[in-house]
Amino acid sequence: MDLFIEQLPVVLEALNIGFIQTLKLFFVTLLGAFPLGLIIAFGSMSNFKPLSYLTKFIVWIVRGTPLMIQLLIIYYFPGLVFHNPIWGGGEGGRFAAAAVSFIINYACYFSEIYRGGIQGIPVGQEEAGLVLGLTKTQIFFKVKLLQMIKKIVPAMSNEIITLVKDTSLARIIALQEIIWAGQAFMKGSQGISGAIWPLFFCAIYYLIWNGVLTVLLGKLEKKLDFFR
Amino acid sequence: MKKFLALMLVVAMGLAMFGCGSKKEQTDMEYVKDKGTLVVGITDFAPMDYKDENGNWIGFDADMATAFAQKLGVAVEFVEIDWDNKIMELDGKTVDCIWNGMTLTAEVTSAMDCSNAYCNNAQVVIVSKDKADQYQTIDSLKDLTFAVEAGSAGEEQVNALGLKSTPVKSQADALMEVAAGTSDAAVIDSLMAAAMVGEGTGYENLTYTIGLNSEEYGVGFRKGSDLVAEINQFFADSMADGTMKTCAEKYKVQAALCEQ
Repeated sequence: MDLFIEQLPVVLEALNIGFIQTLKLFFVTLLGAFPLGLIIAFGSMSNFKPLSYLTKFIVWIVRGTPLMIQLLIIYYFPGLVFHNPIWGGGEGGRFAAAAVSFIINYACYFSEIYRGGIQGIPVGQEEAGLVLGLTKTQIFFKVKLLQMIKKIVPAMSNEIITLVKDTSLARIIALQEIIWAGQAFMKGSQGISGAIWPLFFCAIYYLIWNGVLTVLLGKLEKKLDFFR
Repeated sequence: MKKFLALMLVVAMGLAMFGCGSKKEQTDMEYVKDKGTLVVGITDFAPMDYKDENGNWIGFDADMATAFAQKLGVAVEFVEIDWDNKIMELDGKTVDCIWNGMTLTAEVTSAMDCSNAYCNNAQVVIVSKDKADQYQTIDSLKDLTFAVEAGSAGEEQVNALGLKSTPVKSQADALMEVAAGTSDAAVIDSLMAAAMVGEGTGYENLTYTIGLNSEEYGVGFRKGSDLVAEINQFFADSMADGTMKTCAEKYKVQAALCEQ
């Protein structure tokens, strides 16, 4: 017990540093994937067939392959094949590569959710807009967007909570997120080795953060409860 | 059609950007000196590479790597990598060398150009303390299931002896398997065993018995790198002037040091 009390601050400090990486990746992914997902959704709904097919093809590849493979390819491919390590070896480069992989991956999932939200809006509204002389852009931003946001909140909440846990995949390219930090104490770090309890603390960090998100997203859903 | 053309252009430009990477032929030493940093790929592996209280990397390998970078006139940067990906990291130029108590196995020497050996090591069998007496000979190991690090020298040994084994992600995971009882025994480096197993460590109920082979540690560089000659010279010099020995004594690995 004494040993545990002595080790706890050391472990928590390491986990905090790891958790900040986790959170950084989480927020950067959301910031990038929200708008990129919308662009991809427009692409796949485009009336211009080649663009629509190309987008659907890309979405198929990204959703059809594991994120772990995408991380490995995006990080190692430029250096291995073109001998041009665009990411660099440092922590920043690993984070950038992870962020790019996550943004592309999540944008593809988001795009399908957006598409469902947009296409679920009755055609009558668009027709009414056109009759009133609104352009397509105006119809989207003034009529459809808010309704779409309201519709997709439950589906997006699901993805967002999955994203929190998926960030742990970035350890495959040695991004030192919280599980990396926790697992370091299994193999020995800062004089602590063979300890599995730091991993339980990792789990608690995830639980608390996902609890916070669940409450916030629930509130958002309530707030958007107007129009029926 | 305009949109489509624009899209194709973007794709083409993207590909061209990748293509621009191949500059004129440069030796590895010039490449490192050019960018001004020697990026050293490591893992948290006491006593070779580990962090002090201030979060700086220390250890026998870390200190020697710092001295080597100083000799080259560049800054040193330590990057923690996933050990499974070490060859990819090196070839992909995300690190410049692997300097982390790396056993010179056939796999390693065929994929990298390595320095002369600087440390001796052995692979030892780890079992729980109360059963240690029964497993002091190679014959006695036959009925055990082993946990070994995938791609490690320990795995090579276990396979060569035809023993049952489960590959796991790291040597630490192998120890964890034995501690948890999910495997009967593990095979890991003796230097690591000395630091992690027995009295006063996280694994007080484990102990090591016989050594399976002896092996050597070296530093790995990219194929064809001219830094290999440089580091061999550096090892010879620092052995001659005693700095290597002093450094080894600081981390208690002097007994394992190789002649240069």
